[in-house]
Amino acid sequence: MASKLLSILATSLGPTQARLELKWMQQQARHPAQLTEMVTRRSRGEPLQYILGSQPFGPLNLLTRPPVLIPRPETEHWVIKLADRTSASPTSPKSLLDLGTGSGCIPLLLCHLLPQGSLRTHGVDISPQALDLAKENAAVCGIPPSSPGSCARNTRNTFTATLGNFLDPMFSEDATIDPPYDIITCNPPYIPWHEYLKLPRSVTAYEDPKALFGGPTGLDFYHAIAHLVRQTNFIRPGAVVALEVGHNQAQDVERIMRVHAHVRDTEIWPDPWGKQRTVLAHL
Amino acid sequence: MLSLSRRWLRITPAVCRFASSHAHSPSDSKNARIMRILEKRIEERKRLSSELSHDMSSSADIIRLKQLKESEPLQAAWDEYTRTRQLLDETTALFEDSDEAMRALALEEHQSLSTSLTSLISSHIPSLLIPPSPTTHLSAMLELKSGVGGSESSLFLADLMRMYLRLANSRRWHTSVVSQNENEGGGIKDALVEVKGDGAYEALRWESGVHRVQRVPATEASGRVHTSTVAVIVLPLVEETDSADALFSMDDVKIEVMRARGAGGQHVNKTESAVRLTHIPTGITVSMQDERSQHQNKRRAFTVLRSRLMDLKISREIAERRATRQSLVRTADRSEKIRTYNYAQERVTDHRIGLTLKNLSSVLEGDGLQDFIDALQKDHAESVLEDMLSAE
Repeated sequence: MASKLLSILATSLGPTQARLELKWMQQQARHPAQLTEMVTRRSRGEPLQYILGSQPFGPLNLLTRPPVLIPRPETEHWVIKLADRTSASPTSPKSLLDLGTGSGCIPLLLCHLLPQGSLRTHGVDISPQALDLAKENAAVCGIPPSSPGSCARNTRNTFTATLGNFLDPMFSEDATIDPPYDIITCNPPYIPWHEYLKLPRSVTAYEDPKALFGGPTGLDFYHAIAHLVRQTNFIRPGAVVALEVGHNQAQDVERIMRVHAHVRDTEIWPDPWGKQRTVLAHL
Repeated sequence: MLSLSRRWLRITPAVCRFASSHAHSPSDSKNARIMRILEKRIEERKRLSSELSHDMSSSADIIRLKQLKESEPLQAAWDEYTRTRQLLDETTALFEDSDEAMRALALEEHQSLSTSLTSLISSHIPSLLIPPSPTTHLSAMLELKSGVGGSESSLFLADLMRMYLRLANSRRWHTSVVSQNENEGGGIKDALVEVKGDGAYEALRWESGVHRVQRVPATEASGRVHTSTVAVIVLPLVEETDSADALFSMDDVKIEVMRARGAGGQHVNKTESAVRLTHIPTGITVSMQDERSQHQNKRRAFTVLRSRLMDLKISREIAERRATRQSLVRTADRSEKIRTYNYAQERVTDHRIGLTLKNLSSVLEGDGLQDFIDALQKDHAESVLEDMLSAE
C-alpha cells in the first residue's frame, strides 16, 4: 500500500521528493484512509503545506491555510539574518511594521528571536483570511498582542494585526497604525504579469493572487512603499526597511528606494540559492 | 579480624617465611608494577602536603589542597593495603603455632586476607589509578548503515536499531531518530539516532564496527543461510552550548542547498529543505533532508558535523598518545568485523574479546547487549592499565 502511494507521488514529484513527502504525510496521518486522501490531494497539485496544515519557519511551526501565502524558505533565511543584525533590548525597544503580513511569519519570527520586551510588531493585510491566520499563529507561538493605547513598556515582544491597504495613498494616516517605526518589513506581491503563465499550478490554483501579483512589472508595491517611507514622521532616523524581491528585481527595487525614497544607504542580500532576494534600505 | 590477630600475635611472635615462598605467577609482576605506581602517587601526596604553607597563604596551596583531595581514595587504598599486608604477616607467624586448632584458624584467616589483598591490587587499586575518561558524560550519535547482503542487511539493521533503542530505554537514555531511510523491500537502509544521557557514548562507543548476521532471511524461500553486514558508527554528541567553538570555525564550513529552485520565492512553493555542509579543512560533508525546514536541517547537520569533528579529535588524541607511549590501546578500525550474530547456532560472538553468548535473543531483545558492553568496557580499562604500566 505504501509503495502504491509512493509511486503515485513519484509520478509528479520524482522518487526522492516523493519518499520524503510520503514520510512527512505518514507522520501526520491518523489513519490509512487519511493518508490516501493526502496523497491524492498532493498528486493533484495541492501544496504539501496546505495538506499538512503547517510549515516550520525558523524554530516556529506556523499554521498554513488556503489561500494565505505559504511562508517560503527564502523569507525564513533573510528574516533570521535580519534578527541577527538587529540590536534591540528592553531598554531601547523597537517598533516594527510588517506590510502585507499574510501568515504573520516575518514579525512572529522576529518576536521569537529577539530579546523579550525589545520589540513591538504590527502587521497589516488587505485579506481578512490572512489576518485571522496571523492572529491564530501569534496565539500558537505564544506571542501576545500589546495593550492598545497604553504607554507602559511591554515585558514581552508583541504582535497585533489590522486590515489595511498600503497601496492607498492615504495609508500613512490610517488610524490603526502607530508611526513612527524603527523597522519596516515587507514581502509584497512581486510576480509580474508576464511570469504568470510559467508558475506551477500548486501556486496559481491554491495561493491568493492578491499575495502574488505585483502589477504589470511586479514593482507596484515597491513604489507605494517608497512613497510611505518619504512621509514625514513615518519612520525614525536610523530605521531599516527590509524588502523581499523577485529573482531579478533587486536592482530595480534598490533604484526605487534610492530615487523615490531618497535613501542613500542600501544593500542587497542573496538567498541560499544565490538569487538576490532582499533589499535593505538604511535611513 | 584485627583484634583476633593481635591476640594471636601475643601468643607466638615467631615469623615464618611461608607467605613469600609462593611460586611467582605471571600476575605477580603486573601486581608489583601496579603497586609501584601507587607507591609513587603516595610519595607525591607526601611531598604535596609537606609543601603546604603553614598559614595556607599562597594560591598554590589551593591547587595542592585540591590535588590532595582528589587523591584521597588512593591514600585510603594504600592504607588498607598496608594494613592487610601487616595482618597477613602476623597471621603467617601463627603457622608454626603448637596448637593445631590455632594453626587451622590461622590458615583460614590467611586465605581470606589473601583474597581481599588480591582483589584490592587487581581491581580496586587499578580502577583508582586509571585517569577519568574525558568522554564520560557525553551523549552519543549512533549511525547505522546497511552493508553487504541487500534487503537482508536492511532487515537486520532494523533489528539492531531496535536492540539499541531497547538498551537506551532500559538505561534511561533519551533517544530520537534524526533520520532514517526505509528500504522498499522492508527494513531500513540507514539511520541516525541521537542517544542522550550520561555515559551513553562511553557505553556505546564499543559498538563501532561491522556487525555480521548469519541467518536464513525471511525473504529466502530455499532456506539457504545468508551472511550480511551492517556498519555501526558511534560518535560523541556535542551539544551546541558545549565548548564546540574550538572544533571548527564558521568560515571553514560551506553551506549548500541541494537543488536548483528556479526563480524561487513566491514563484515556488515546493518544499526543498535539503542542506549540505562541507567542512573544508577535513573534507567532511554532512547532508540532511529529513526535516521540512531548511533551518532545522541545517541545525541537525551542524550537530552531526560537531560529532564527527569531536570523534576526529578523540581519535587523533589516542593516536598521539600511542605515538608517545607505545600504547597497547586497540585501534577503533571501523571496517573491522567486530561481532557475529548466528541465528542457526543461537549465538553472538564478539571477535575482539572472544566472548560468545549462547543466547542470541537475550542480546537482541534482553540484557545480553549490556553483558557485551560491560565486558568491552572492562577490556578497555585493562588495556588502559597495561598502557599505563608499560609507560611506567
